[in-house]
Amino acid sequence: MKLGEISKDLAAVIGLALLSLVAGMILNRFSAHPLPLMHHSPAERLQTELTHLVTAPPFESFPVETVGLNEFRSAVESKDDLVIDARSSSYYQRGHVPGAINVSREDFARDYVRLRAELEKAKDGPVVVYCSGGECHDSKMVAQALTSLGFGQVRVFTGGWDAWTAAGLPVERQ
Amino acid sequence: MKLDSRAYRFIDIAIRLVVGAVFIYAGALKIGDPLQFGDRIASFQMLPNAFVNSLALGLPVFEISTGLLLIVGWLRRPAALGIMIICGIFLLAIITALARGLTIDCGCFGTGKPSRLRMWLDLGRDSALFLGVMLAYRYPAIRARSAAQA
Repeated sequence: MKLGEISKDLAAVIGLALLSLVAGMILNRFSAHPLPLMHHSPAERLQTELTHLVTAPPFESFPVETVGLNEFRSAVESKDDLVIDARSSSYYQRGHVPGAINVSREDFARDYVRLRAELEKAKDGPVVVYCSGGECHDSKMVAQALTSLGFGQVRVFTGGWDAWTAAGLPVERQ
Repeated sequence: MKLDSRAYRFIDIAIRLVVGAVFIYAGALKIGDPLQFGDRIASFQMLPNAFVNSLALGLPVFEISTGLLLIVGWLRRPAALGIMIICGIFLLAIITALARGLTIDCGCFGTGKPSRLRMWLDLGRDSALFLGVMLAYRYPAIRARSAAQA
């Protein structure tokens, strides 16, 4: 077989492949569930699904009620409030306020779904959120997200983890 | 090989029917579920994510059209070469997947359970397809040569 014939066939194959690609793309456009061009793993797709589910109300930024260290401390000690740690899970695992649960800003959907039963029980009760302290915004964002999901009394402890540990208060590890 | 031209012709038609049917079948199973097929392609960990879905959309169409062309006989040489290339790429993919210790389902015929044994069977089946379609690709040249000798 001559090389010239093979390259002619090869050109036809490339043409056929391009036509197939175009036809596949056109079919995809009219499909009930069109595929995006970028592939996402099943885990990533589930994460997106959950994010849709949990942040169904559009996320809004608005002022949140804040509490000081003394008020936060009595809320923690009386166990009246649901205490939420908004930092990412690696920080939470290294140490957190006793009794706090971890609903991180980073993996909000994942954590929300994991702790859904506990969270929704506290929907009408007082909730207080903290993060590292200082300039951290995670606690405010999580508080806003919870409020937009229908939580009634969400407050933020602005002093956060820094103020808690600086005061030498007890720490829980997991 | 000392085969008369009628035997060659018979073998050629048989190969084209079988390989063509296998490719049409394989393409038809996947064309309706590119999402699933994309996951199978991604499991080989050979292609960047940006190209996975294009391949998942284009390959089933390509398989069906080359399979049809191979059976019908129009553009049969490009069709046979196209199938050879697909089989060749898949052979490389499955061999490297075996070498890398991946346990995956090739997704060749829709979906199945990932298993190492299946991967070896896929390798055997694909080698047979590759050799068969290589004969089909060379057949017009063989026929021309035997016609010249006659």
